[in-house]
Formats: sequence, C-alpha cells, structure tokens
Amino acid sequence: MKARFMVAAILAVMLSAAASTASARVQTAKADSITVWLMGDAQSGWPNVVAEANAAFKAKHPGVDVKVQYQTWGDHLTKFDATIAGGDTPDVLEFGNTETTKYMANGALKQLKAANFPNSKTWLAGLKGSCTFNSKLFCVPYYAGARAVIYRKDQYKSAGIKGTPKSQAAFLTAGKKLMKKFGKSDPNYSAFYFAGKNWYASLAYVYDYGGKIAVRKNGKWVGTLEKPAAIKGLTVAKSTVGALSRASRTTDEAHPQQALVFAKGHVASFIGNGWEWPYALNKDSGNPALADKVGAYPMPSHVKGKLMPEFLGGSDLAIPAQSKNPTLAADWIKAFTSTSAETGLAKVGNIPNTTKLAGVNKDNPQLAPFAVAASSSWFVPTAPNWVNVENADVLQNMLVQIYTGSKSVTAAAKSADKQIEKILNG
Amino acid sequence: MAVAESEFPLVSRRRRRLTGRRVGSALAPYALLAPAAIVIGAILAYPLYLLVRLSFQKYGLFELVRHKGTWIGVDNYRTIFHDSQFWHVVLRTVVFTAVNVTLTMVLGTAIALLIAQLGRSMRLLLTTGLVLVWATPVVVAVNIWRWMVDYEFGVANWTLTKLHFGNFIHHDWFANTWSGFGVITAVIVWGAIPFVTITLYAGLSQVPQELIEAAQIDGARAWNVFREVTLPLLKPIFIILTSLSIIWDFQVFNQVWIMLGERPSPDYYVMGIYAYVTSFRSNEYGLGSAIAVVMVAIMMVATVVYVRQMIKTGEVR
Repeated sequence: MKARFMVAAILAVMLSAAASTASARVQTAKADSITVWLMGDAQSGWPNVVAEANAAFKAKHPGVDVKVQYQTWGDHLTKFDATIAGGDTPDVLEFGNTETTKYMANGALKQLKAANFPNSKTWLAGLKGSCTFNSKLFCVPYYAGARAVIYRKDQYKSAGIKGTPKSQAAFLTAGKKLMKKFGKSDPNYSAFYFAGKNWYASLAYVYDYGGKIAVRKNGKWVGTLEKPAAIKGLTVAKSTVGALSRASRTTDEAHPQQALVFAKGHVASFIGNGWEWPYALNKDSGNPALADKVGAYPMPSHVKGKLMPEFLGGSDLAIPAQSKNPTLAADWIKAFTSTSAETGLAKVGNIPNTTKLAGVNKDNPQLAPFAVAASSSWFVPTAPNWVNVENADVLQNMLVQIYTGSKSVTAAAKSADKQIEKILNG
Repeated sequence: MAVAESEFPLVSRRRRRLTGRRVGSALAPYALLAPAAIVIGAILAYPLYLLVRLSFQKYGLFELVRHKGTWIGVDNYRTIFHDSQFWHVVLRTVVFTAVNVTLTMVLGTAIALLIAQLGRSMRLLLTTGLVLVWATPVVVAVNIWRWMVDYEFGVANWTLTKLHFGNFIHHDWFANTWSGFGVITAVIVWGAIPFVTITLYAGLSQVPQELIEAAQIDGARAWNVFREVTLPLLKPIFIILTSLSIIWDFQVFNQVWIMLGERPSPDYYVMGIYAYVTSFRSNEYGLGSAIAVVMVAIMMVATVVYVRQMIKTGEVR
C-alpha cells in the first residue's frame, strides 16, 4: 500500500547514510560468500551451467560460498536500485542488453578490463557494445538470443502446409489454413500464439517495413513510430495477431509462459527463444510427448526470401560499483563465461558470447534455425535513458491499445512517440 | 457510542483526583507517553520529514549512486501540477475511492443487519466466513482472484460459459478499463466488508431493543426503524468506518499492482501506483515523493473533516 513505497523510499535514504559508514568497515573483512543475481531463465533453462561455474569457482576459492538468487525481469532493476540505496548490492548482476546504458552512464557499475575475461577478443560485437560506454567496459557479455518461429510440424502437415513459409503472405495463408482446420472446433486454439504485450515480436514488424522506434536528430531523440513505415508494420502486426492469435491482448509472453501454453497443445506456433523449445518439452512443466512434433524456422519477411529482423536479445554480467568483493565477483564471472560454460549455454539454445563457438549448433536441427534468425536482427535505440522507456511500459501499453482496438494504430503510435521523446530527452 | 458515554465521567474523575496530588507526579503522564511518542516520531514523523525533503530534490539514479540529491525547490511540484496525467490520476483515484467506500458501506451495513436477524447457527456460519476473509493476507487473496479471472485458464470464464451467460472463453477482463476496475473493486469490497460488517454488528447489538419496539408500536416499518433509530445511534461508528475506508481505498496499491501483473498500464494508475512507478520504475525519486506528499495532503484534508465531525458529534452528546 502507500505505506509500502513510502517506507521503501524513506528507508532507502536512511539506509544510505548508514551504509556509507558501514561499507568501509566490511571491505577489509574476508568474504565468506558472494551474491549473484541471475535471471530466472538460467534456473529453468541451464541450471547445470550455473552449478558447474559454482563448482569451478569454489575449487579456486575454497570456503567462499556462492549465493545465486534468481530474479524476474519485471522487477530486478527496482530491487537493484533499492540495494544501491541500502548499500547492500549483489556482487554480480545480470542485465538485459537494453538495460545497461543508464547504469553505466550514472556510474553504478565497476569498470572492467576486457583482457581479464575469457574469449574477450572474440566477444559478439553487439553484446560488447551494450557493455561499453565512453569506450570503457562495464560488463561482460553473457549470451545472446535470437527468436524464431517454434511450430508443430504435425499440425502444419495435417493442415496441408508444405515446407515452411518463406514470406509473410505465405505465413498468413498457412496460419489461416490452421485456424480453419483446428480453430473452429477448439476455441482455445491459436495458429500463432501472440501475447499483446510481446513488444519484441511486435516491433519486429516495424523494423521489417523499414521503421524504427526513435532516431537521433540534431542532438535530440525523435520518436518515429508514427512514420508511415512503422505504422505499416504495426498495422500488419495487428491484422496478423487478429487473424491468427487467441492469446490475451493485455498480458505478455511470460505470463503465462508461452512455451507452456504451447505445450498444452492448443497452439500451432509462436515466436520464441531457442531455450523455449526444450522448456516446452520439459517433463515437469511441459509436455515431453511433443518431442518429435516440434520444429523451428526463422520468421520470414514481407519480402519473399528475406528474414524478418528479430530482436537481438541478450544478457550481460556486471559488478555493481558498491560490491564489497569485486575480485571474487570477477573470478565468478570468469568461471561462468568460460569456453565450457558458453558451450553449455549454446547447447540449450542460446547464442554464445563468442564467435569462436558460432558453429556449435550448425548441425543441430533444433538450434540451427535460431542461429540463422540471428543474422537478421534489430536493436533498441542506444540512448542512456532507453531502459526508462521499458520500465514505463511505453511500447507495451501502445501495443495493448493497438491490439485491443482501444486506440487507432496512428493515435497509439503518436502518443507513444511523445512519451518516448520525453523520456529519452529528459 | 457506549464507549463515548462512559469515557466522560472517567476523565472528569481523573482530573479531580490529579489536582490533589504533588506537582512532580503531574509529569508522570508525560513520562508514560514519552516512549510511544518517541516511537511514533522515529517511524512516522522522521520518515515523513525525509519524504518531504526528498520532494524538493532532484533525486535520480545518478544521485542514488552517490547518496546525495540536488535541491531544486518546488520544481517537482511545478512539474506534477502541470502534468495532465497527474490530474487524471487524482480524479480517477477520487472516483474510485468514492465508489469503493459507498459499496463497502452499503453492503457491509446490509450484511450486518442480516446477521442481526439470523438464527444462531447461520449467524455463526456467516461470521466465520467473514473472519476468514478478513484473515486472508491481501497478497494471497489478490493472487487467488487473479487466477480466477485469468484469461487463459481462469475458472470465472469457464463457469460463466458453462452457465450459458455467453461465450466467456478467452474473455479478457482487463482489456476494458471499466470491467478491469470492476474486478478490482470486487476484490477490494470483498476484502473490506468483514471489518465493516463485524464492527456494525457489534454496534447493532448495543441498540436498545425497547427503542426499536417503541418505534414499531408507533407503526414504523423496517426502513423507518433503520433511518430514525438505528442510524442516528450508530452514527459515530458509521463515521469512523467511513473515514477509515476512505483512507484505505484512497491509498490502494496491492490490489491493482498484483492483479495487473506488477505492470499496470497507465489507464489503471491510481495515486499510489503513480507515485510508485515514478519513483521506482523511472528512478525519479524526487518527483515520486512530491506525488506522495500531495497524496498525503489530500488524505489529511479528508481525515480532518471526519475527525472534526467525530469530535463535534461527541460534544453534542
């Protein structure tokens, strides 16, 4: 309630005064543990990689415990901000690659030396860029992920779809065939499950038509979602979602987890990360019986033979400026981004942080489509305040307005542009 | 009411006795009050002072990392007063509070009157139900409601469809702000009724039966008895319950926050949410504090009106 945030705000300020005196004392004491904040994806997707990194770290530092605390994307930054105020930050923190700039710009992260970390010469350029501010390095690339269409081969076949669609027109035709074949008798059925707040997949349409979220002009950010190309993309997204998806227009792709909705059998396809495929087949939460019925292909562009640019997601690992154990933290990051750890990450469907391992999944039919999809990608505007656009849910709210029809595409895009300009130039 | 009456003679007796004692012991009451005063000062007044101070500062992530804000005078207040969204949120919160308090009081009173008419076993059953609702932690309760109205797997949509109220499969309760706030109001009123009902029922049992009988002999119907006898006698309780409900509903947070997956769209911002989002999502702690201060001020006005009313009622009696 009101008391909650007020007390939190006040506590934060109060603690900060206490912390500045306390931290000096703690620093000299020998640490017996470090705290690592990873996102829940690691917990559901690659717990073995985490366990191996911990074991490797402990072999080097006997007596130092690694406390891995799993966070959710929705509130991990809010929690991190609270620890900054309280002077009790974790020692290692996972950031989404769109979230880093603001923290680098405000001095919240420790500067790092690339040469100290494994494979730093062959890091993915995109991820390295998200860790660099004023040509200084503040985090270590962890992994990247590209999205592709994960689909039911059996349903495609029985709906009479030959091969996989090579253009948006073909994709739409295929989806309509599926809706006709399965969607009439099953009110829960979606040929293409697409949650309304899935902004990664929605904005892909904007970039496919040559649109952008915002551009920098004369030293100022200008929102460009109301430009014709972006409007075209959003309009196509709206009609595609309207025709093929019966997912909620007001929730996102993780509530409920779209892979688990897929596993229930009423979904023919969705745009997912590589790790969502094995997650859908997981014997505890998903449906292992689908194992030989699932496939993946890169989302085709509206231009035949080309690919739709998909969001290049990814994560980085950083050490907060206030960490009391930066050396131990760096050693843990080394263990967690070693060649063997990154190979493990690649095997569950991620794109490893180094080009050295690019070929790991070349012959794996389950993962190769994602590597192909990564060849055509888009990324958010690189403005220091970008993450505030995400935190304020500007794009997601715009999409809800568009998909529910509460505002016209143009009106929703115009109001989003205004908010984006206010935030990015603020 | 019973409490108010008996307190008066007690106070005057105490006063009389006090004059006959040594002067030193006159300090004793203050000494006894001191610990409570210090605790209130530490956990309420000091944080409130910090909140107000923060509202006059530019305090973002940059300042947070350095633990030091910049004094900018009333800039934060100027910003929010010129922000049309802020006024929308204030208006929405006021209307939302009015609807919720009205529904809570009307339904709570109706159920209290019902309990008074019930036989023993049914009364026990109903009271137990109410206490269980009251005892359910808010976070748990809201999550249960959230699952019930879930888009994909919710039991509400399933039941409504099975009962042939129409096709509710994949009905999205939150796509439309009206139905979304309808669900939220249902959760809040559902959670608030037990306290109102049980308190009013306790008050009802204190209404002298003779008065009601006398009214009935004079030919009063149930509605007249309620209006002319019960309502005036229970007025102090009604005022306290209404003012408490206003305070609770005005600062509503959890019900909206959890119901909408911790990412409510701006259409669902009430003041508590707006201040939280500004502070902790956009890292504008100074601006967020200013919103919170305005919110506290609005609530204080509402509370003062009612406290005055309360004291006045006490004096008249």
